[in-house]
Amino acid sequence: MHPALSVIVFTTFSGMGYGLFIWMCANIIIGTPPFREEIIFGTSMSFILVTIGLLSSTAHLGHPERAWRAFSQWRTSWLSREGIMSILTFGPIIFIGGETYLTLGLGFLMMPAALLGMLGAVLTLYTTSMIYASLKAIPAWHNKWVITGFQVYALSSGGVAYIMIAGWQHYQIVMYLMIVALIVKIMTWIYIDRNRGQYKRESALGLSDFGKAKPFEPAHSQKNYLQREMGYELGSVCRTVMRWLALGGGFIMPAALLYVGFPLSPIIVVICLAGMMAERWLFFAEAEHVVRLYYDKDEV
Amino acid sequence: MTCLPDKTEKKLGLLIDLDICVGCHACAVNCKEWNTSGITGPMEDIKPYGDDPSGVWYNRIHSYEFKKPGEADRTVYFPKSCLHCEDAPCVTVCPTGASLKRSEDGIVLVNPDVCIGCKLCSWACPYGAREYDTSGGVMQKCTLCVDKIYDETIPEERRVPSCVSTCPAGARHFGDFADPESKVSKLAAANDARDLFPEMETKPINQYLPPRKRQIHKEKSLNHKVSNVKDALLRWAKLDFTG
Repeated sequence: MHPALSVIVFTTFSGMGYGLFIWMCANIIIGTPPFREEIIFGTSMSFILVTIGLLSSTAHLGHPERAWRAFSQWRTSWLSREGIMSILTFGPIIFIGGETYLTLGLGFLMMPAALLGMLGAVLTLYTTSMIYASLKAIPAWHNKWVITGFQVYALSSGGVAYIMIAGWQHYQIVMYLMIVALIVKIMTWIYIDRNRGQYKRESALGLSDFGKAKPFEPAHSQKNYLQREMGYELGSVCRTVMRWLALGGGFIMPAALLYVGFPLSPIIVVICLAGMMAERWLFFAEAEHVVRLYYDKDEV
Repeated sequence: MTCLPDKTEKKLGLLIDLDICVGCHACAVNCKEWNTSGITGPMEDIKPYGDDPSGVWYNRIHSYEFKKPGEADRTVYFPKSCLHCEDAPCVTVCPTGASLKRSEDGIVLVNPDVCIGCKLCSWACPYGAREYDTSGGVMQKCTLCVDKIYDETIPEERRVPSCVSTCPAGARHFGDFADPESKVSKLAAANDARDLFPEMETKPINQYLPPRKRQIHKEKSLNHKVSNVKDALLRWAKLDFTG
């Protein structure tokens, strides 16, 4: 799939934003609440990251002014569900930040808001992952690793953002989570590498019993929308380089820097975000759509 | 509404005979001709006479060479358009309700006034049936010429999709697959009709008839005496027509 910057920014930024918010809510719930300034800064940062992500995703649309219509089809569409959950989750983010800043005397609602906020963030991440995981036509996405990955990467990248803000003493938890995230990513790659080639051109043509098919005259002289959107061919060298960048920036370096100590945390956040963008670039660039069987691929 | 109907009254669709198709692209051209001024048109054409033309087509004619050990190679022309699937994944992913499957005849359509151009439907379709209109910012696809097949102002025999009426070889048939007595249902049943990409579990309505079994010609022994014919041209003629 064509790795469009708008969707890469959308999923990495909002992922980090929700992850950060989940850590903040968790600390409020377990009774190690961050300081007032930290909550204000943290919720603001969550709000900004999520908003950048969502606005960026609308840049992908042909008619952004009609985006409000996307909230209507929650019965069947994961994209619609994601839209609704992301809007609902703004409620707890704004409430926790606003109440802390303005001290309106609604402090007794902090705990339920943190619980709802955590639930909302987890469900938003889940619905986002299901937009991709529900697509049978893209085998690299149509699996449980994608669903697990979106949750884990949000928590690991959001975790370093939380440490930057709250200087959390139990930061080793995030360090171990980085290692878990690294393993999940490697397992995902093993899964997609092993499952490459399960669909054949002959089956796409409904002519599996006619021998081996190869394209003869092309259907059109120039690339069409399908090839521009879904025909991205990732070279093997590029794949290897990007995989190392993703692993190094997204997980290994943040984990190593956390091991050294958190004074470096703003740098960790930048490195982690850059690594996650490499990871998300690969998420798209590596995913082969089965429509390519009608064009240049013998198998997907 | 993006919920798929449990059952459609009719299952209108195409039966495409790969044994007959000659790959002339007339169906694709006439499709564009009709639909660019139809209800979902115009169909964009960017630099149509330039070096790098691009645009939207609802129908594309691929071709493939099949090789099977022990058999002569075979060329198959392969027209591909929306299959109007019963379990259309493009419809259920749509966040706005712009994509829909009609309960009366099963036709899958896009409402261009509601589409936000998120392109997710094109990602969900395994067949590449949908193409994005960059100038209109919306997704476009085959309508089965819905503005032609129900038009009572044209003679009844012409109320078929443009690709069907224009096919010079008679490779394309249109009808109701829900009616077992329809021409398309009978042809499909008699000729081993195929679904494209059955693993995708989309239950396509459109069906494809595979190339038929080849007739095996026994090699004829050339035991007549060609050398007796003096004239070279006649020698060839004798070989070819009497051999």
